[in-house]
Amino acid sequence: MNPLVRRAIRRTGPQVKLLREFPKVVSASRFAPFTSLSRPPPNYEGHVPLTVPERGLLAVGSAVMSLLNPRRGDLIAALGEATATPYFIYRLRDAMLSSPTGRRILKDRPRINSTTVSLERLRSLPDGTVGREYAAWLDKEGVSPDTRSQVRYIDDPECAYVMQRYRECHDFYHALTGLPIIVEGEIALKAFEFANTLIPMTGLSMFAVVRLKPEERRRVLTTYFPWAIRNGLQAKEVINIYWEEELETDVKELRNRIGLERPPDLRKIRAELRARRRAEEAARESAGH
Amino acid sequence: MSPIRCLRSRTAIPRIRNSTSRPRFVAFRHSPVPRTYATTNVPEDIYDVVIVGGGPAGLSLATSLRSSSVASRLRVALIEGLDLDAGRRWKPSSDNYSNRVSSLTPGSVGFLNDWALMREDIGVWKHVQRNRVQAYHGMQVWDGVSGSRIEFNWGAENPSTIAYMTENVNLVHGLLSRLEELGGAQPIDNTRVEGISFGEDHGTLDLRTWPVVQITGGRKLAARLLVGADGANSPVRAFAGIESRGWDYGRHGVVATVEIEEISGAERTAYQRFLPTGPIALLPLPGNFATLVWSTTPEIAAQLKKLSSVDFVAMVNGAFRLSHVDIAYMAKMDAAISEEYQWRQSVTPFERAGVPSTILGVQENSISSFPLRMRHADSYISERVALVGDAAHTIHPLAGQGLNQGIGDVQSLIKTLETAVQTGQDIGSTLSLEPYYSGQYLKNSMMIGVVDKLHKLYGTASPPVVAVRSLGLRAVNAMEGLKSMIMKQAAGER
Repeated sequence: MNPLVRRAIRRTGPQVKLLREFPKVVSASRFAPFTSLSRPPPNYEGHVPLTVPERGLLAVGSAVMSLLNPRRGDLIAALGEATATPYFIYRLRDAMLSSPTGRRILKDRPRINSTTVSLERLRSLPDGTVGREYAAWLDKEGVSPDTRSQVRYIDDPECAYVMQRYRECHDFYHALTGLPIIVEGEIALKAFEFANTLIPMTGLSMFAVVRLKPEERRRVLTTYFPWAIRNGLQAKEVINIYWEEELETDVKELRNRIGLERPPDLRKIRAELRARRRAEEAARESAGH
Repeated sequence: MSPIRCLRSRTAIPRIRNSTSRPRFVAFRHSPVPRTYATTNVPEDIYDVVIVGGGPAGLSLATSLRSSSVASRLRVALIEGLDLDAGRRWKPSSDNYSNRVSSLTPGSVGFLNDWALMREDIGVWKHVQRNRVQAYHGMQVWDGVSGSRIEFNWGAENPSTIAYMTENVNLVHGLLSRLEELGGAQPIDNTRVEGISFGEDHGTLDLRTWPVVQITGGRKLAARLLVGADGANSPVRAFAGIESRGWDYGRHGVVATVEIEEISGAERTAYQRFLPTGPIALLPLPGNFATLVWSTTPEIAAQLKKLSSVDFVAMVNGAFRLSHVDIAYMAKMDAAISEEYQWRQSVTPFERAGVPSTILGVQENSISSFPLRMRHADSYISERVALVGDAAHTIHPLAGQGLNQGIGDVQSLIKTLETAVQTGQDIGSTLSLEPYYSGQYLKNSMMIGVVDKLHKLYGTASPPVVAVRSLGLRAVNAMEGLKSMIMKQAAGER
């Protein structure tokens, strides 16, 4: 076990302990039909069982509102949960079950937040390692690992954990690919995640290209989408990476192992374009005088 | 006038030598030479029916020939390569069950039973050890990918057995006892068939169209009718030149006898779950025992046979409860399967009432496997040849119909032979045998075809196919009338 990471491991040994945390679902994976007035008891802490119309409304509402304001991370999360069933989250969970590392993750159920991941230790790691890149990226973008909301609308506890794990690893995917958190970078990363994990919300997020300026949209459509689809399909499942064990691995080596190529540095391109435009404007102004 | 000698059997049509253009009749009354009863110098032993194969089908046919009032005048011999003493001297213990168990439908049992209303019973069932036969009244069949389910339960207002689980050796023992009781037939065991050829013209006896079976020891048996009950690689079928067409399923059936958790007063139920690699079934036996039949890929079958008994039990329990992805992964593990199963079953939701009781242990040396294939002979009959049982057809075990089809063949063949004897026909001619072929062929063909399509339909995890078949299964489950029709058909009621 990586000594740098203190993690809350949910032990699955004695049955009683597990029951206290995740009560066993006694019926089939789908609830018997219920109404909003007679909701069944939750399967885990924070679980809110939804009826089909409720889930549909949540999906539509959160899709529209997050398109209008892409900074609303909570709406994007709700959209993800509302559209994950049927099939897609089960497919992702089965992809984890088919891999030895994925199974270990499902068994240990590690969480990524500021208590389990120590940023000071990560910052002291050598340059080029996954942990260092992650800490540097968090500092540069000014975000913390605690910004992720809890999963509430997925019924099966194990699939709820898979969704939570995907959400918490999203920042690691940023660090792995180097894409920034501006809208353009997020859309490119979502396209990659869609090709790799098939979560519908990531596919729907690709429609956010309509919000971009024409030049950004052109850049995304011609450079980043092809990169994302190509790499998402050919790379191994990123959900199966046990990040807590990969913190000291070299990022390039990890990318090689997964089969992922680094996309063009978006911040650098934008900075260069901005600098060039400023130079052109300055030249025009001085010529105009 | 040369003396005319003919065979004593009343069903024989005398073969007349030196026949001129004018047919001669009534040679019996006008023979100028005193008749003799001595046999001619014919090296073959002459029988009316020679049955090759002493399995359930062959023994059923021999028993039914001997017990039929019409056909009991026929001279019958039965040849079996293995030792039939194992069946004769079978002394079972109550905590040990053979792993070769078959599901006998009420139709088959009615034929074997002497309490049934059917006239053509052969009185075997009273010789079968009834305390080792388990009748079951309910059946649960469900899809391993989607969980959609069909339940067969004869209702409370019409409680009736779906089928009887009988060990093959129990049935063979019963058949042998009944055959000994009836007497008259000659089971020749520990004897292999060295070759089958046509007989010769012996002057007064022309056996050129008669099959002659040569057995170990040099003895030759000439048969008016040669019945092949000798299994899937039938030498009799090869002799008759009948093609058997079909394909191998690329699957192995793993069988085992297991011990299950005590079920208090619950009805005995059979369970079958269709996994993408093949169906797994648990069928009840008396006491706390059950028999397992798991049709799966050769790799998984080989792996299962290598596991420790604790891991094997965990795999089987998991195969009824966990997702098919889990099962596929665990089937590749070499060890620690029991712990993996404990974890997975704590997080997998499943219907308690819809799965069999937990399996606690597996009987020693009872795990074995056999390859699965589908074969159907082009014809069940040929001149002086008939095929019954596995020699005529092999079927996937998922519906438990193989042995029942064999017994159905025997039932049909005995009716045909009785008719032939009563109307004075030559029982070996294709004219007499034709009703057997036409009666059985279509029925067997349909059953084989349906079972084959079920195997193919449930052999995939592809989402559109799963969605359609789950919808279909749920729809059929809701239609009580259709379900009782299916159950009646499968029960072999005629």
